Amino acid sequence: MPGSHEGNRAIIDVLSATADRPAVTYRYAGDRFILVEYGEMVLDLTTNFRIFGLNDALKRAGLDGLIETVPALRSMLLHYDSRRLPTRELVATLKKLEETVPSGENLNIPSRRVELPIAFGDRWTRADIERYVKYTRQDAPNIVDGHNIEYIARYNGLRNVQEVVDYICATEWWNACIGFWPGLPFMFPLDPRYAIVTPKYNPTRPWTPEGAVGIGGPCVAIYPVESPGGYQLFGRTIPVFDLKQRNPAFKANPILLKPADRIQWVPVTDEQLESTRERVHDGTYRYTIVGYEALNVKSYLGFLEGIKAEVTAFQQRQAEAVKHVAIP
Amino acid sequence: MFEVLEGGIQTTVQDYPGRVGYLDLGTYPAGPMDHFAFRIANLLVGNPQGAPALEVTAGGLKARFHDSRAVAITGADMQPTLNGTPAPLWETFAVGPNDLLELKFVKGAGLRAYVAASGAFDVPEYMGSRATFTVGGFGGFEGRGLKKGDRVRLKPAGAPAGQVGRRLRTDRRPQHGTHWEIEAMRGPQADPDYMTAADMDFFFSHAWKVDRNSNRMGVRLESHKWQWARKSGGVAGGHPSNILDNGYAVWTVNVSGDQPIILVADGPSLGGFICNATLIYASSWKVGQLMPGRDTIRFKEVTIDEATALAASIDEAIAERSIERR
Repeated sequence: MPGSHEGNRAIIDVLSATADRPAVTYRYAGDRFILVEYGEMVLDLTTNFRIFGLNDALKRAGLDGLIETVPALRSMLLHYDSRRLPTRELVATLKKLEETVPSGENLNIPSRRVELPIAFGDRWTRADIERYVKYTRQDAPNIVDGHNIEYIARYNGLRNVQEVVDYICATEWWNACIGFWPGLPFMFPLDPRYAIVTPKYNPTRPWTPEGAVGIGGPCVAIYPVESPGGYQLFGRTIPVFDLKQRNPAFKANPILLKPADRIQWVPVTDEQLESTRERVHDGTYRYTIVGYEALNVKSYLGFLEGIKAEVTAFQQRQAEAVKHVAIP
Repeated sequence: MFEVLEGGIQTTVQDYPGRVGYLDLGTYPAGPMDHFAFRIANLLVGNPQGAPALEVTAGGLKARFHDSRAVAITGADMQPTLNGTPAPLWETFAVGPNDLLELKFVKGAGLRAYVAASGAFDVPEYMGSRATFTVGGFGGFEGRGLKKGDRVRLKPAGAPAGQVGRRLRTDRRPQHGTHWEIEAMRGPQADPDYMTAADMDFFFSHAWKVDRNSNRMGVRLESHKWQWARKSGGVAGGHPSNILDNGYAVWTVNVSGDQPIILVADGPSLGGFICNATLIYASSWKVGQLMPGRDTIRFKEVTIDEATALAASIDEAIAERSIERR
């Protein structure tokens, strides 16, 4: 009978929460993968930091039979060869690591800082939004003055388009994971005083230019290639994926960003962006990537403690604003 | 040289196990949809099991060889011919300069055939693999399916005579039907926390129809009204199938809203929907032979120990001991 005996359950093992870390659930995902989940279904960057800490420790342990890991928001998927590394052994090792990996606070996470130029409300995303209004939905409430930025302002209780730009540039954006499409980053603001949120397109947008930057829920993404999409767009940046590997930044593989990168947006004009994009493709542009910094979780948590009141104030401002805004 | 006269529905160069090691950068492995037939084809012509070979989906391939090779065709029966004369399936034969190979559209059971040639197809390595990733348009031959006029290079090969007549023992040949039983394991997100026990009982007993809209990214099954263990996805979204984005195992069953989709070779690496069951190493090849709009599948639940035993037996079967001479 399915589900009636221990061996057939989806959950392999559970660790209860302690003062230092959330509960851990080990789940079967076939005989070649397991999924490790942390805590409850809440978005908490400190959980994501802990996952990177564990990922680091796991890589250093050099476990024979472990093929690769996929850190994500509150989980990590492990790809392994169950014949070289039996599942029970893998789970036992992971449980032991939970005791040795320093608690979130004492972690230093290797993290690159990547500066990317962005043209806010640029003409390329504007053109695709115009097509959406023409061919997909005329009365989309998330499109004001031919773009999504004014809507982002209203939805978050910000005064105008400029304040949206200021907010997006006021914080570094933490790349919590990459996926769905090669090189597509899922980024969250490290400074929650600027944590804007939006609902997604309805219906989704059939067109999005390569390099477009948008937000869905609390998450900012860069579209690595021209594709359909559902995020509210606010600008366009330089390539984060290049099939032809035309720039030294793409020498190892066509994907620019890595999990645990921090992205800082630098506003430019459409013309500046266009010429920078040309220099990316002719190989003369050098991406600004600083690799020597690490994210110290303890000092980060200290920083969060100091801005609590401001974060709560912004959340209240957002909650009030949402009441007066239509959802797509 | 392999000169393509007709590419068919979708013919791609693949290798095995594909582009492994890039899941955390968002890249699924690509590679053959039916790794059993693919690896046997290479074995028959004396190549390493993972060497680049062709995956022919639904048929319609017409091509000319420009030199002497040992060739083997495995998988679905597309009534292959060489210069108009029937060519064998699961058995190595010789081709010479100007020989015309033709695979018709599949009529009976199965969906994909594999064509291996001694020496192997020669395409550039991209991110450590020669497999075609159709979604990203990279790997394989120019990142796409073959079409009329393409000339695919082959690596040098010895005289074909030594390989000719090698065939897979009849008792080792997979049975292709139209109603499939596919072994799978419960999870990662099943009962009791995401679905109800009744949902999972239904999942493991229903004969699921394979949707027409299936491809190398996902094999879609029919929608179903699930009971769900949760009322909503909370912060992750309104629907109870929503979760905060997590990595997707390859060959997992993703329940997106009401519809189950088996995520296959070129699937998305990460997303925000639950996966209630995952196929095992030994059963995943069957998905490559499912005919969209026709076939049905029942998932048979197995334990990790059963899955591991099945994995060992399929790998033991893909070996010289399964090959005999005509």
